[in-house]
Amino acid sequence: MAEQKRPSIAEILAAARAQKKTGETPASEISSDAAPLSGAPIDSVTLPEDASTSVEVSDNQSLAPSKKAAAAGPVTQAPTGSRPSVADILAMSRAKKAAGEDAPAKTPAPKSPAAASKGVASKPASAKPVATAKPTAMPRDTESILSQARSGTKPGPMSKADAPQKIVAPKPVVTAQRSSDPSKGAPTPRTVPPMPIKPVKSTAKADASATEDRRGFLSFAAGSFMAIGFTSLSITTGLFTLGLARFMFPNVLAEPPSRFKVGSKEGFPPGKVETKYVAQFGVWVVNSEFQGVQQVYALKTVCTHLGCTPNWLEAEQKFKCPCHGSGFYKDGVNFEGPAPRPLERYAIRLADDGQLEINKSKTFHEELGQWSDPESYIVS
Amino acid sequence: MHSNGLFLQDVSGFLGVYYTSIALMNGVAAVLLWRNSQQKGGFLWSVIWAITACVMLVLASFALSGVAEMVPALPAVVRDIVNKLSGPVIYTVGTMVMLTVLFVFREFFVKPMVAWTGLNISLIVMGLSMADENFASIVMKADNVPIVGLVFMLAFFTWLATSQAVVNDRRIAQGLPPTEKLHDEKVLVWPDLVYTELICMIAVSAFLLLWAIYLRAPLEEPASSVKTPNPSKAPWYFLGLQEMLVYFDPWYAGVVLPSLVIFGLMAIPYLDFNKKGNGYYSISERKFSYIVFQFGFLELWITLIILGTFLRGPNWNFFGPFEYWSPYKVAVLNNVDLPQMFWVGLLDQPLPKSPAGSSGLMQAGYILLRESPGLILLGSYLVLLPPLLAVTVFRSFYSKMGLIRYLVMSNLMLLMLSLPLKMILRWTVNLKYLVSIPEFGLNF
Repeated sequence: MAEQKRPSIAEILAAARAQKKTGETPASEISSDAAPLSGAPIDSVTLPEDASTSVEVSDNQSLAPSKKAAAAGPVTQAPTGSRPSVADILAMSRAKKAAGEDAPAKTPAPKSPAAASKGVASKPASAKPVATAKPTAMPRDTESILSQARSGTKPGPMSKADAPQKIVAPKPVVTAQRSSDPSKGAPTPRTVPPMPIKPVKSTAKADASATEDRRGFLSFAAGSFMAIGFTSLSITTGLFTLGLARFMFPNVLAEPPSRFKVGSKEGFPPGKVETKYVAQFGVWVVNSEFQGVQQVYALKTVCTHLGCTPNWLEAEQKFKCPCHGSGFYKDGVNFEGPAPRPLERYAIRLADDGQLEINKSKTFHEELGQWSDPESYIVS
Repeated sequence: MHSNGLFLQDVSGFLGVYYTSIALMNGVAAVLLWRNSQQKGGFLWSVIWAITACVMLVLASFALSGVAEMVPALPAVVRDIVNKLSGPVIYTVGTMVMLTVLFVFREFFVKPMVAWTGLNISLIVMGLSMADENFASIVMKADNVPIVGLVFMLAFFTWLATSQAVVNDRRIAQGLPPTEKLHDEKVLVWPDLVYTELICMIAVSAFLLLWAIYLRAPLEEPASSVKTPNPSKAPWYFLGLQEMLVYFDPWYAGVVLPSLVIFGLMAIPYLDFNKKGNGYYSISERKFSYIVFQFGFLELWITLIILGTFLRGPNWNFFGPFEYWSPYKVAVLNNVDLPQMFWVGLLDQPLPKSPAGSSGLMQAGYILLRESPGLILLGSYLVLLPPLLAVTVFRSFYSKMGLIRYLVMSNLMLLMLSLPLKMILRWTVNLKYLVSIPEFGLNF
């Protein structure tokens, strides 16, 4: 089976030569699409006489032929320009062979359509750059499209399915020409690949200028929708930002003031730890002795270990943190548990009306020697 | 407590069901053993469990009687002794000793009958303790029920893994392959595993739903920045961290050590040079890895969670298991920093202090001088100890791991051991911090 199908090198070469004779223009049209080489000149179609190409081709024709050709191409083909694809050559040679064997009905070798279509399918992708760069393809396509447009059928871009039927009119002619070649006995069953759609697209753009008015209206309408959308979006965002800015300056501040008065000094007799300001202000007002001086000071109710609120234990005369057991003396100095430093003091002063005023915006650290600051206590 | 009688009446129903379940459990065990009584000692054990089941039924009927005097409970003397004895030191040392004994005599403890006996004893002690109001109020708190479950589940799974490891070790000693290699047939992810997971997911979801309905989540008052609940406890899985925070500065116990735990666990595959023990349980083949991991997990994590859950009360004081959680309990916990000990205690001179108005550099110098004892101690611990260990205890480790891996491993281990060491220093010499630089919030 395989041997029967496989054409000899001589046959392939003969077919190629016959192809060359059939005329330059149609051949070049086909081969230009098929040629995997970019930038190859198109006018003359000569098959390379080099043996390496043909040997390789005949070696294994069931592989995608264009691939093979591409592999062999760069070595041998540079000067010769485009040529019929290997698939074409194979199809032709098979047809010839079949004709020679006088079996017209059963001619199509079972594999050849598959191989051909395979080759074709892989072609457009590799041919695309060629097709767009090539000047000869343009006039033909433009022409056909223009004629199409003039005849009044379906202007504008068309679907891929429509494209081969409506535009690539010359194609079937070419195949017919080729298949009705005098040197071949029977018509090839080979299907002609649809033209690449690329040129159609590019011309469709040029064509759009003809119907610019209607398109323009559409784009204008769409553009204005976008404009409306973005305008409303920016207005909303702006209003939201303004609202947010307003939110940052509330009329009423829920948190207690950082400066507040706790009554006169007489309310804090020596030894007293006042806990009634803890819930609202987070402060203990203590009258105690520190380094030999009897003083009134405000301790911050935040444990210096991890920030829990310690409790004042009257019976034990200490502040005790419930989280990790840190303990502080009445003067705020740490003595047990993990707290690394004494409690902090808030600023305290005697206001003009004789009351004590505590300012929470300022703290004093013992370990930094700030407790000697006169702002941090009042001598009682 | 004055309401003891009322409490006992409340709890008696639960205890009745509890003892009945233990009886049922032992009854099933007895029946199963009876059926397989061709095993050596199977008959004897089945009789023992049947008797235990009967005793449990008697206890259950006592409990269900609802009469306060009849409810089985631990004698008050025993409870008092336990309360007196318990403290952080006893607890930590005790758990350490217990885990060591369990590990050393694992060949004995993994025997099913021994393990079953242990389970029975712990369940009965639990039931007897539950008749104590203080104990019950902590253990039956909705928050803490999962921890009770955790204790038993963890014990079970540790036992399971250890028993398989013991079997494998025995086989390996005889030159046989581990049991896991005997039937290591492959199972497909789909459908075998995925179906199992799906069923487990549904079952666990259903269980959690029922649990959530039956044991309602304890909601507390709205949070306030100036009021901290007493005691204030972290989620149960962080109670080990909270216990660590008692001994360390927040940046170390709250940031450095937890990160080191994570990075250390991630580093294990790169540090491990022991090719054995892949895909099967074994202790003898991976003794070092096993001991280090179980010490870190069971001792430094789980026992601290249990300690934090059941034994830490108001003001984070330690309370015995049968002790009333009084917020007024006085515990003497005074502690001092190392510089204080060294300069004031040892050299009998005031702490080095920069003269008033000195520059920042000068102050830093004085701080370094003040903290020099602690810094030298810490430096030698982390810098001198690894090479010292490399030429002595870890000689083979060093030669197998190379310098970098060895240093990473030894330092991770030393940092892990810094927790128990610091605990011991706190208990024995009342040390607060080795290095204490409150000026920069840097304490160790």
